[in-house]
Amino acid sequence: MKNFLRSNIAKHETVLLAVVITEWFYFNSVGAHFGSLDNTFDIVRHSVEIGLLALVMTPIILTGGIDLSVGSLLGLCAILFGKLWRDAHFSPMAAGICTLGIGAVAGGLNATLITWLRLPPLIVTLGTYSLFRGLAEAITHGVDTFTKFPDSFLFLGQERFLGMPAQAPIFILVAIFVWLLVHRTTFGRSFRVIGFSPEGARYAGIPVERRIAMVYVLAGIISALAAIIYTARLGQAKADAGTGYELYAITAVVLGGTSIFGGIGTVHGTLLGVAAIAILSNGLVHARQPREVAGMLTGLLLILALCSSVVPKLFARLRARRQTAAPIQAVKTS
Amino acid sequence: MSAPLLQLNSITKSFDAVRALKGVSFSLNAGEVHALLGENGAGKSTLIKVITGAHQSNTGTIEINGKTVEKLTPASAHKLGVAAIYQQPALFPDLSAAENIALGLEPPSALRGIDWSQRRAQARELLKRVGADIDPGTEVRELSMPQQQLVEIARSLGKGARILIMDEPTASLTQKEVELLFGVIRQLRKDGVGIIYISHRLEEIFAVADRVTVLRDGESVGTHPVSEIDKAKLIRLMVGREVAAIYPPSQSVPGAVVLALSKIGCAQSQVHDVSFEVRAGEVFGLAGLVGAGRTELARILFGITPADSGTIQLNGKTITIQSPQSAIDDGIGYVPEDRRRHGVILEMSVAANTTMSIHRRIFPGTWLRSGAERELAQKYIRDLAIKTFSDESHVNTLSGGNQQKVALARWLASGPKVLILDEPTQGVDVGAKSEIHKLIRNLAAQGLAVIMISSDLPEILGMSDRIGIMRAGTITSILDGKTADAGTVMAAALGQTRPATAL
Amino acid sequence: MKYFREISVALALLALLIALAIVAPAFYQPQPLLSLATREAPTLIVACGMALVIICRQIDISVASQFAICSVCAGLLASMKLPLVIVLPASICIGAILGSINGVLIAGLGLPSIVVTLATMVTWREALRWQRQGEFVNLPDNVQWFGLSQSAGQWTVIAIAITLLLVLAVCMNRMAAGRFVYAVGSDAEAARLAGIPPQRVTFLTFAFMGALVGLAAMMNVVQSPQVDPKSGTGIELKTIAAVVVGGVAISGGRGNLWGAFAGILLLACISPALTHLHIESYWEKAIQGMIILLAVVADGIRTKRGSA
Repeated sequence: MKNFLRSNIAKHETVLLAVVITEWFYFNSVGAHFGSLDNTFDIVRHSVEIGLLALVMTPIILTGGIDLSVGSLLGLCAILFGKLWRDAHFSPMAAGICTLGIGAVAGGLNATLITWLRLPPLIVTLGTYSLFRGLAEAITHGVDTFTKFPDSFLFLGQERFLGMPAQAPIFILVAIFVWLLVHRTTFGRSFRVIGFSPEGARYAGIPVERRIAMVYVLAGIISALAAIIYTARLGQAKADAGTGYELYAITAVVLGGTSIFGGIGTVHGTLLGVAAIAILSNGLVHARQPREVAGMLTGLLLILALCSSVVPKLFARLRARRQTAAPIQAVKTS
Repeated sequence: MSAPLLQLNSITKSFDAVRALKGVSFSLNAGEVHALLGENGAGKSTLIKVITGAHQSNTGTIEINGKTVEKLTPASAHKLGVAAIYQQPALFPDLSAAENIALGLEPPSALRGIDWSQRRAQARELLKRVGADIDPGTEVRELSMPQQQLVEIARSLGKGARILIMDEPTASLTQKEVELLFGVIRQLRKDGVGIIYISHRLEEIFAVADRVTVLRDGESVGTHPVSEIDKAKLIRLMVGREVAAIYPPSQSVPGAVVLALSKIGCAQSQVHDVSFEVRAGEVFGLAGLVGAGRTELARILFGITPADSGTIQLNGKTITIQSPQSAIDDGIGYVPEDRRRHGVILEMSVAANTTMSIHRRIFPGTWLRSGAERELAQKYIRDLAIKTFSDESHVNTLSGGNQQKVALARWLASGPKVLILDEPTQGVDVGAKSEIHKLIRNLAAQGLAVIMISSDLPEILGMSDRIGIMRAGTITSILDGKTADAGTVMAAALGQTRPATAL
Repeated sequence: MKYFREISVALALLALLIALAIVAPAFYQPQPLLSLATREAPTLIVACGMALVIICRQIDISVASQFAICSVCAGLLASMKLPLVIVLPASICIGAILGSINGVLIAGLGLPSIVVTLATMVTWREALRWQRQGEFVNLPDNVQWFGLSQSAGQWTVIAIAITLLLVLAVCMNRMAAGRFVYAVGSDAEAARLAGIPPQRVTFLTFAFMGALVGLAAMMNVVQSPQVDPKSGTGIELKTIAAVVVGGVAISGGRGNLWGAFAGILLLACISPALTHLHIESYWEKAIQGMIILLAVVADGIRTKRGSA
């Protein structure tokens, strides 16, 4: 079983890697400027925010949860950042730090409702999804936009640093952090245990509530970081920032081989999932296809990834039923 | 006299190599309450499953209403009027009692109207037949456990059940509720329903049953009219075998008191006033019937449902156990009863399971150290002779006995002072069982205080230095493991004040 | 108390209406109220379906995309000069097909409904944008208000929505099929033991939800001379909020359509109430989110107290 599962996961990521490479070569042959360095950087710039959200969505889904509010929180944090800078006259640095704190508080709200009242993450984050976006609209009256940020701040989103897009080093740092967290620390181990069996985790002495709270707070902080980068890239903050990003993040995670039922999944799989989606949407533009095709294909990809994730589960269930039915009875009555 | 309602003739049933039923004959007359008695694992549940059609017997014949039934399936058993009521009712908590009854009786067609007044009238009539004072409109979640059972009985009657199987129906009932249920049973008997009544409580059998059949090791050791038998004889029939001398002898000399409980209670899990001490090097057996509160006590000691009264002392210091983490920090380990759900994480590797409760100790600074982890896992694979392909194998590839050893390894790795084992050999094959027994002895010899919960009487007798008997949420007596025998333990667990051996 | 939630929502609605009567009596003018009711009629129809889906212990967040597709398809069919007696059933059929796709994935493959409907939501939405590029569909004259006068048309739309609510509320209570939905949502395993097939019930619930969306889309199309390809945006949140607020438990098996109706009335009144109370309407979404959270927190506290 172990070998079966492991080879399966390995296969998933190799297949995905092959898909990404194929995409690359295909679009390179179709679009004239697709393979250029400028365009590569363009892809990176455009996928950093969704990539950040997908990175923090990975541990959440590993624990068997979900967070629908990250896109809305991105919007709320973006306009609060703008508000702090323009109306409260904070320096971009101070505003940024405050925004990260706001993200932590918002993630903490999700975490509290989920762990303290044991409410399903789905409905809690659906509520905060509406709440955060609504607050963003209420604060900006739906029309206010924040622009004319100083160049020193826009550097973060639009210039190059160390020969790559300036936001790329931040993304790489976060990716390394989340990868280490999930794959190399006891926290990541706990997330998986909780995803497989929350009750079993309790009996092993793992602080289930604190670990779950941790992943939602982390998601809040990183959503705020994504909001700052988003603002710097576009040079403006609007209430509709990040609309629908939660879907792209979830898609990337599930596409990357993480089971929606929790326990199984990797961060590098998620990164490949992000790459697959980013290259697809950029490449389709270069192939002179309308932007919407990319969105549609993303949704279809998610459905396909879900179906493929459920097939081994169905097999395992069949096998388990065949294996356990007889022996369990035997031991009870022996 | 007419043919019996149900007649089983020399039924055998094997699972792989294990013979669960070895030629059991059994009969049930109309208007009779026939009690079925036996230790855990004596074959009662297998027999019930044969009668309800969940299992097909290997040999033997089944007659219902005087007619031989060829192949009994759940559906055909249902049609022939067999119904079973289990401890946990299978009802819809959000729907009313009337609807719960009706959904089992109405035709499955979806496009038909619902006549609520007819549903209510039907429910009222059926509930009246079982003597339940329940408004048919009440949602089932609002009903108490015994009321829910009555709803289920009413539903079975509505289906025209003639053979009613009640499996430990009183396990979660208070004395008063038991009296009510008995009234219902007597009424049903008067109506000509045959009832197979399974219970561990002897007084109930004498109160309500007409005949009693005792099962032991898959064989019927006799059917007697209740009027011609007494409790002492029943107990002898149930346990009547020599305790095999395969248990390793106790070598250790109990040392200082490690764990001392005084008047421990927890309202939520219905445990109260538990006081006892466990010494280093001692195996303290906890015996009692299912539902006596043994697992609940273990869950209190492990901090899953913390105690709300009494004091716990560990090595002379008073401690409070608020969560599993604090229990582990204090040096208490717990190998739970439900191995597959609580004891191990099936989808994870042997190594990961071994280190799961000592993350902080083995992974300083929270960094996973795969080398140290695998080394530890391999040590336990060697020490406990865990049969696994490698320490990286997922636990669900292992046999039941080896899974249990992994669960044990997790707690041995935590270096506990007190180890609680809940049914450590349940669902484990004979070879692994004796290995686990040897292991428990070794642990005790190394100075560990072991609390062992078991429903396996020979195991309790063979392994324990002292035996605490739990009944109705508290420890009623503590016996010396050397002098206790099956009769005294069983009698104490059943609540008989006079030791059965005296008779 | 059995109808605690329904009554408290009704009281909240009553309080809001009284507050409006005192502070902003202008709210009670027949014409604006009639158009408010007409505007909200399609939402009510979708909310009925959403109540069924949630009672069945599932959720459907793809309804907005289904709504838009049905609207545009109905508009296109109508602009081909097909009569309404063909366009209306066609719209319902398209909705039912879209709903069945959700149903197959959820009931057939056992996938979680939240992620499946998230995926279908984006797939349908983007497919529609791709095909139509945001273009409005112009309708022939005889479509708006069913070719009737405006007030007759408005009353027809309201009458259809209310009739549907009444019929469904009665069916959910007095037809076996309705009780099956409750049974499956309450305990799928117990349902199977009682001879009710949980998978089939779940599938049909989603298909029916789709059909209702098709009907609702049609009720929306007839209200204007053009079809907006973005119509229905946000309807999933509004209906989920209304249904949850109205006492349908997200854990399935509990609640009824009357509660959902009260929830819709409450949410529908918020937007005009904000205007009349001189609060900016941008608060609407935030208030909706607050209401959802309040409702689930209240449920959470009640169950927590119940279990302790």
